[in-house]
Amino acid sequence: MNARPVTPRNHLPLFSRIVAAIVGGYLLASIATVFLSFIVPASLPEAVLGATLFSFAIYTAAIIWVFAARNATRAWLGLLLPGAGLAVASFCLQLAKGAA
Amino acid sequence: MKQTFRQSMSWLHTWGGLWFTWILFAIFLTGTLGVFDDPISHWMREKGKAGEVPAMSAEERARAVTLAQDYLVRQAPRAEFWSIGLPDEDEPALRVFWRETEASPFQKRTLDPASGSQLKPGSARESEGGHHFVHMHFELHAGTAGIWIVGAATMAMLVALLSGIVVHKKIFADFFTFRPGKGQRSWLDGHNVLAVLTLPFLFMITYTGLIVFWATYMPAGIAARYDGDEERYFSALTDGPPARPRQFIEAAVAPLAPLMLRGEAAIARETGFVVVEHPGDRSASVRIFGRFDAEAESDRLVGRSSGTALFDAISGEVIDVQKPNSVRGGTVLAVQQTMNALHFVRFGAYPLKWLYFLSGMAGAAMLAAGAILFMVKRRKNAGNEFGSATAGVYRVVEVLNVAAIGGLVLACIAYFWINRLLPLDVAERATREIELFFAVWLATLAHAAWRTPHRAWCEQLAASAFLCLALPLLNLLSTGDWLVAALARGDGETAGVELTALAFGLLFIAALRHLWRRAAAADARDETLPDATATATGG
Repeated sequence: MNARPVTPRNHLPLFSRIVAAIVGGYLLASIATVFLSFIVPASLPEAVLGATLFSFAIYTAAIIWVFAARNATRAWLGLLLPGAGLAVASFCLQLAKGAA
Repeated sequence: MKQTFRQSMSWLHTWGGLWFTWILFAIFLTGTLGVFDDPISHWMREKGKAGEVPAMSAEERARAVTLAQDYLVRQAPRAEFWSIGLPDEDEPALRVFWRETEASPFQKRTLDPASGSQLKPGSARESEGGHHFVHMHFELHAGTAGIWIVGAATMAMLVALLSGIVVHKKIFADFFTFRPGKGQRSWLDGHNVLAVLTLPFLFMITYTGLIVFWATYMPAGIAARYDGDEERYFSALTDGPPARPRQFIEAAVAPLAPLMLRGEAAIARETGFVVVEHPGDRSASVRIFGRFDAEAESDRLVGRSSGTALFDAISGEVIDVQKPNSVRGGTVLAVQQTMNALHFVRFGAYPLKWLYFLSGMAGAAMLAAGAILFMVKRRKNAGNEFGSATAGVYRVVEVLNVAAIGGLVLACIAYFWINRLLPLDVAERATREIELFFAVWLATLAHAAWRTPHRAWCEQLAASAFLCLALPLLNLLSTGDWLVAALARGDGETAGVELTALAFGLLFIAALRHLWRRAAAADARDETLPDATATATGG
């Protein structure tokens, strides 16, 4: 709990992490909700609800990850990579649905 | 941050926890009081002395609905919705609610069910009662902005719970460890014991709190899969009839009384509420809600319908009928409803409510102990986390600790006094009560900023103790009713409120004695009182 003194040098990475946790984590949880709504085995309205019930656990995990990562860059990468993967997967699932 | 996982979680727990702890304490304390919102309303509106409200016949109900409709046509011919609450055991008045547009505030009036004239202020002790605490709990009386602030704090709570578990190496040992009278160590033990004992409750109440507002907090799914059309989405989710968008063609609502009687026949239950959507427009609909049967629902996690009948408000054609005791929607909706019921403790009777009350108070105490621990630790050994501003930040934390914890407790019990002391004929009395509640809270902040921390804690605690212990006396002097009379007539709700206030008063006295003894011991050792400003400046 011995927080180190705040100096301008280590100020920016901390600020970056806070933004990553609050904004980045929320966006990752949002994309994950959309992705899960395609794969939850239920009717569409129920799948959307089920995915959303789960999203707050994903958000929490994302915040924990951001502060556990070795540095701010890794923290961001750990959000952006799965986020991009889930976005592409959701897009493909949407296209597949349109074609079917 | 070249730290171990535990060190980074410890940092997150301390700082993430600190900045949200005051608002979380407010959410926990008011939510816990809100468990007993009905008994508190019962006490505040002096229902204990009122006689039984006689049941209304079908003709009387029809007449009351007609009078309400006349009133609403005069006041708000083209509104977003009208809602008419018929008199019941708890509320002998006819209540009408409306909202002009989606953006305008809710309007509420109480009418005489026999004449339709608006009831004059002063004819009853008009009060939000226990609902004040419930509104404070989920929106801080700040509408949508408040819902989002509470949501952010709830997410912080979830993160603090998880990081807190990581921080504690010996969670099982912590279960049995409490070393009182040891200053900082005791605060840490107290924080741990309370959190570990109530951990399952804390996780449940926090997560289900987010689920209550799931569509507000996480709209991504509905946005992506339903183009953000919530009405279309919810009618699909609940197997309801399709939404009825505005048509912008003027049309008058048909007389409501015959529709209400047809609705009652269709669901075979008396009407509790009549709701008209889009009155004045061709798309208007009338929904008859059957009276809620609290007793029949008290042993069920998935709430059943009280019965509804939906009509086209212009033609009177039936659109949809849902019988009482039916359940709509699939398994996932049932899961969500169960989570709601767990949060609202909508099932189970008084024993379960008391368990929630005690767990919620333990949660509030855990938050308070955490906030106090932060400062106790730094009074002894300043961390210099903010460079030259550290002393100033500590002073702010110390003042906020007193006002957010001691001050809110004082404002909550003061709300009961305001309810009894504010004259009955004040206009918008219920709103004035809540404004005075906030005024008291603000005064505790000024007081905390003015006094040293020790004095501020002692004085606010003493004031709360006095207001709690004298509450039955205040009730006796202001209304002639009190604890003993309530017990004699078997009115457990009135007696329960006053007995609980007495118990809290004794608890505050015990806390005060502890603070005084410690101050005396410190004086005897010829030490200065632990004063944050002095210590922080010195360290």
